[in-house]
Amino acid sequence: MTARVLLAEDEENILTSLTFLLERAGYDVSVETEGPKVLRSALDTPPDVLVLDVMLPDMDGYEILRRLRASPTTRSLPVLMLTAKGQREDRETALRCGADLFITKPFANSEIISAIGQLAEKRVQ
Amino acid sequence: MLSSILGTRIRQRRRELGTTQAELAKKVGISPSYLNLIEWNKRRIAGPLLGKIAGALDISLSELDDVAERRLSITLGEIAHLPALSGLGAEEERINELIGRFPGWARGIAALARSEREATERAYILSDRLSNDPFLSENVHRMLSRIAAIRSVSEIINDYSDIPDDRREQFDRIIFEESRALSDVAEALAVYLDKAEEGEKVFTPVDEVEALFQSRANHFEEIEHESAALGKKIGGQGLGMRRQAAFDAASAELSDTIDEIIRNQPQITTAAGERRARAQLIEYAAAAILLPMDAFKAAATSMKYDIEALSAEFACDTDIVCQRLTALPNDDSTPAFGYFRANAAGTIIRMHRLERLPVPRYAVACPLWVLFRAQQSPDMLFRQRAIFPSGARFVFIAKAISQSKIEYGTPRHYVTDMVAVSEDDAFETVYAPDDDTRLEEVGPSCRLCPREQCRHRVTDPLTDN
Repeated sequence: MTARVLLAEDEENILTSLTFLLERAGYDVSVETEGPKVLRSALDTPPDVLVLDVMLPDMDGYEILRRLRASPTTRSLPVLMLTAKGQREDRETALRCGADLFITKPFANSEIISAIGQLAEKRVQ
Repeated sequence: MLSSILGTRIRQRRRELGTTQAELAKKVGISPSYLNLIEWNKRRIAGPLLGKIAGALDISLSELDDVAERRLSITLGEIAHLPALSGLGAEEERINELIGRFPGWARGIAALARSEREATERAYILSDRLSNDPFLSENVHRMLSRIAAIRSVSEIINDYSDIPDDRREQFDRIIFEESRALSDVAEALAVYLDKAEEGEKVFTPVDEVEALFQSRANHFEEIEHESAALGKKIGGQGLGMRRQAAFDAASAELSDTIDEIIRNQPQITTAAGERRARAQLIEYAAAAILLPMDAFKAAATSMKYDIEALSAEFACDTDIVCQRLTALPNDDSTPAFGYFRANAAGTIIRMHRLERLPVPRYAVACPLWVLFRAQQSPDMLFRQRAIFPSGARFVFIAKAISQSKIEYGTPRHYVTDMVAVSEDDAFETVYAPDDDTRLEEVGPSCRLCPREQCRHRVTDPLTDN
């Protein structure tokens, strides 16, 4: 079965490139660009992996993650967090909110594909 | 008059006149040995005796007690305590002799120390800016996002040989778009950093307004003039209503004057700076309407700058009194007051700087300031006798007041006002410390503070030893 990845990112061009990469890697990709919509989509139809940007309009990635972790259906949903700020406190906040992995922009494509692969595999097991 | 250079000048003047100690002592009715102590700055004198000596030496009081020399003496005292001079054995007890005998060299040492301090402060400000500046962090964030897109797309073009033409065109367009945006951000950053290098101190709207108030020494004569007349028209209702009435009158009647001030101020360059400057000038004018300068100055002097007594006398809030203290005209007979306001999060949201009082621009201040103690017990006035790492001493007076509407069920939001005055100036106020007053070691902020062993330290100091 094809694993489904939900991409939550508001930068259109990064979204285009990530979509291409993930489709080529064989994932079923869906996309959301606004905070509240990301939360709704993840709660209604939990993906196998959520790639979550920290900076999203109307509700930031940390808040979305906190709410997902509070719901029984998404408590253990694998989440990869993305942010442009590589500062230590962001990393700590992300992990405290319950992110499984954390990648800072700019990233190497191989880095992000391998991280998503790891999380998808965990999901299957 | 509490000058420690006084004796040296008396001695000098007496010698100029060719008078002996015995002769002068006899003339003013004291023993020669007591005069000797005075001349060697071992006894402080004031009042009638000082007047008699001045008379006998045919010299005016102000010539004897030169304010500039008194300040120089304090400055050199501070310099003696600078970390850079530790272990060199600077003869602190002979400072007055130095000033008396080599005034040019004494001024030179003070000038060198001042330029060293300015250079250090500037380095601190720039470094502080690098780590806290919102403009920088936002643009670095933008830059990283652009680079992320460019890197990811160019890796795709490099790694996949079978990209369909329409996709390929799309990727080319992304690289084109993103690299242009990247160059815009980079340019903005370069311009910004260039400006910082020019020695231009004005950067953000907050800085623009600070520069405006600083350039006028926090005193706007044209506003004072017009406010004095308006003050008489404000009715004597309750505190809050009077305050609002003064604010309304300032907004309605003084807007032309305020616009004129802003127009003539080269530092105000942005729309945000202009809005902020207007709001602060209206506040200044409202305070001037409530406390007209002539009446305020007279009362402040006679009440020895007692903030609470002045607030009762003029039936207005203490923060207005604090604002007016900093607006007192800058002359030698009036203490110079600095002012800080912090919100509940500890961020300093308003300040009027004081010479020698180092304050971080973009970071939180030292937690040992009484400002933060006052925050914990609202509506109570606290005093602190503080010594900075430079050796400079200040008296701080702080009080937290509620800024929200006072009614049942409404949460109270407190802000804390703190007035600062140098210890030397504090002697002219009710807050004068005495020898028993505890002297508390404080700093500017952790990053700017060299006290490595302080148990309240949260970040490493910038200074390297």
